[in-house]
Amino acid sequence: MGDTQMQTAAFFRAEGVLYKQGVVHAAAWMASQRAGFRERAFRFGQAALAAPLFSVLGQNDRSFGNRVVHLAYRGMTEDRVNLLGEEYADDVLKDKLLDRGLELVKQARKEGRRVVVISEGVSEIVEPLMKHVRGIDEVVCNRLEYRDNKATGKLLDPLVGGHEGGRWLEQYASEHNIDLARSIAYAGHGPDLLLLSGVGKPCVVNPDFTLRKAAKEADWPVMDYTA
Amino acid sequence: MKPLSIREIHEGRHILVAGGSGFLGKVWLAMVLQRIPDIGRLYVLMRGKGRDPRVRFEKMLTESYVFKTLHDALGESASEYISRRVEIIEGDVSAPDLALDPAIAQRLRGKLDLVVNFAGLVDFNPDIREAVSANIDGALYVADFVESCANARLVHVSTCYVAGHRDGLIEETLLDESPNGQPMVAKDELANARRIIGETAAENDSAEVEAKLHGEVIARIQSRGQDPTQKRVAGMVGRLKRKRLRGMMSKAGTDRALELGWPNTYTYTKALAESLLAERTELVHAVFRPAIVESAREYPFGGWNEGFNTSGPLVYIAQTWFHHVPAMPGNPLDVIPVDDVCKGLLVVGAALLENQHKPIYQCGTSDLNLFPIDRLVELSALGNRRYLRKHGANALERLVMSRWDTTAADPEHMLNLGNIRALLKQLARYLRHGRPDKLPSEVLEASDSLADASDTANRKLRQIEDVLDLFQPFIHDHYLVLRCRAIQSHTVVEPEFRFAPEELDWRRYWIDTHMPGLRRWCFPQFENTEREIFAPQFPFKLISTPEPAATDQPREDVG
Repeated sequence: MGDTQMQTAAFFRAEGVLYKQGVVHAAAWMASQRAGFRERAFRFGQAALAAPLFSVLGQNDRSFGNRVVHLAYRGMTEDRVNLLGEEYADDVLKDKLLDRGLELVKQARKEGRRVVVISEGVSEIVEPLMKHVRGIDEVVCNRLEYRDNKATGKLLDPLVGGHEGGRWLEQYASEHNIDLARSIAYAGHGPDLLLLSGVGKPCVVNPDFTLRKAAKEADWPVMDYTA
Repeated sequence: MKPLSIREIHEGRHILVAGGSGFLGKVWLAMVLQRIPDIGRLYVLMRGKGRDPRVRFEKMLTESYVFKTLHDALGESASEYISRRVEIIEGDVSAPDLALDPAIAQRLRGKLDLVVNFAGLVDFNPDIREAVSANIDGALYVADFVESCANARLVHVSTCYVAGHRDGLIEETLLDESPNGQPMVAKDELANARRIIGETAAENDSAEVEAKLHGEVIARIQSRGQDPTQKRVAGMVGRLKRKRLRGMMSKAGTDRALELGWPNTYTYTKALAESLLAERTELVHAVFRPAIVESAREYPFGGWNEGFNTSGPLVYIAQTWFHHVPAMPGNPLDVIPVDDVCKGLLVVGAALLENQHKPIYQCGTSDLNLFPIDRLVELSALGNRRYLRKHGANALERLVMSRWDTTAADPEHMLNLGNIRALLKQLARYLRHGRPDKLPSEVLEASDSLADASDTANRKLRQIEDVLDLFQPFIHDHYLVLRCRAIQSHTVVEPEFRFAPEELDWRRYWIDTHMPGLRRWCFPQFENTEREIFAPQFPFKLISTPEPAATDQPREDVG
């Protein structure tokens, strides 16, 4: 297939670029809405304890942190996760959408790029939220494992949010005939380094300490916005 | 078997409908009128109930929302369109020859292709005399009439719960013994039911009962300081006897049903009717057993429902402070949308008309798309959460009650309905008679209104408790899966008539369709608030029309 038929894409890391809240908040919120007060308290505590682990380890690789945080979903029924996920997306996350991020999506569409949102949040939350964002072609996010209609607390592979982001990018580009050299990626966390370095036009948005340092070294553009 | 084209098979066919004014009957009627415009003639059998049945039918067509879609499609021509296809026949299934005018009966005998009998008494524990009359005698009189017709066949609408207190997979076959395993000859059991009725009536008429009631009435009148005149005493004794007899007849039916393994008189009498029909060798018929018929999925529109006697109470309690539903996690509650049932009925009718029918069809979901009771309870809690967070009357409802989850629990749980009711009763009693007298007037007023609220809540919970008691055999005590394969053994040509409960997405149906439907159409009835009355732009009026041959009618598309 020749270069002329290849399309360009814009990859958006949802957390930090499109909205403020991260997966720890989502897991803690979901845990606090479980059936039964004992379960609510226990799982909320579990998610809260995972928060420091997530912020410390998450500078380089969030795989472990993600796996621990999402244990808070264990035992929740698929119905509950889906309906509460819709509620969280509509009532909490929708108001946290960042206008500047949405403008970047709009601009990417205008440039004729395929818009791909990558999130380490679970599909039950991210997919309903993305219905409020126009112009998205695909959402790639984490998926919970269910057995007998109940979440096991495990995330299905491939896990989003770890170092595998770079390898995933190459595979995705070849499957969708995407020219990575002409593509853009927006991200703000340390583990997104491989995703950013895989495209021709990386852009660092609201970065954490690790990524800010890396951006400076690589001379990547940095954007800071809070609204 | 040849694929069934529901429209082609019903084209020009003449159908007698009994019980067409019930929830299921009305949806079926609307669906046939709208989706099978080339139907021959629908003869709708109606009792007058002191009025011209044509007037009752006109009122039903004008005021019930079930016909809204039909009115919307037809507009001004609705009266003419429907009148050309419908004829109202005065009659009563619980009387020989359906209490028809002889000339009309004769005319129908030569014309009818199909009879659909929806008629029956659906109260669970009614007076056994009424249950036998409507559910058994009615079924047999309809069968007699069908046998006397030149070419008619019968769809007899029964219920899946004729299975009674059985466990496991319930096949689509006739049950040749009672649910508790006793061999049963239907004819003998009907005679036994009549004997029980006779004995109960005789006992109520006995001299001892008369004397006892007489003494009680005189004592009661005298305790009020009034004069017990003979006329007054006789009147009161008569009323008491009638009330006592109804109670005894209801209890006699329930006792007999429970003795044989049925949960109530309704399922007992329906089961007997099925067995008695099966003995008719000349009768061409099929028994159609729906499970728990609930809100429409898409026809006449999503959420259409009526009444408050099936899953309504379960959903209703999910929006109260009570949150332990007596149910065994994993047990199915076999709910099926009313429009799916109507599609199933049309398939069975077509199969009968084509001579491809099977003797028994079950119409439910547990076999094809299991919906366990604990899932139902959780979805109800989540649906109420969604509703109360947005529409709660106050902050308490929006913030606290919306998150007050309902769960399936053991019937003996400490917070079961019986205990909650006892607590409410004690609270009301204390607030009325036990509180200190020397309190500020504001506190006294508040305690009076709290006592009233406790009584109201108690009354509502009592109604719900009664319904839950009726359902407990199915949602807690027994694991019952209904085999529903016979309808799908027929291939249907038109997609809009295909019976496909396996395609039902329970989450979306329960949250977005059924619960809003219950709130709009059923809860007002339970709460004694005003129900919505439909008022079409062009009110329906029956117009006298000749009976044209169906093939002569111009085809009109009202889809």
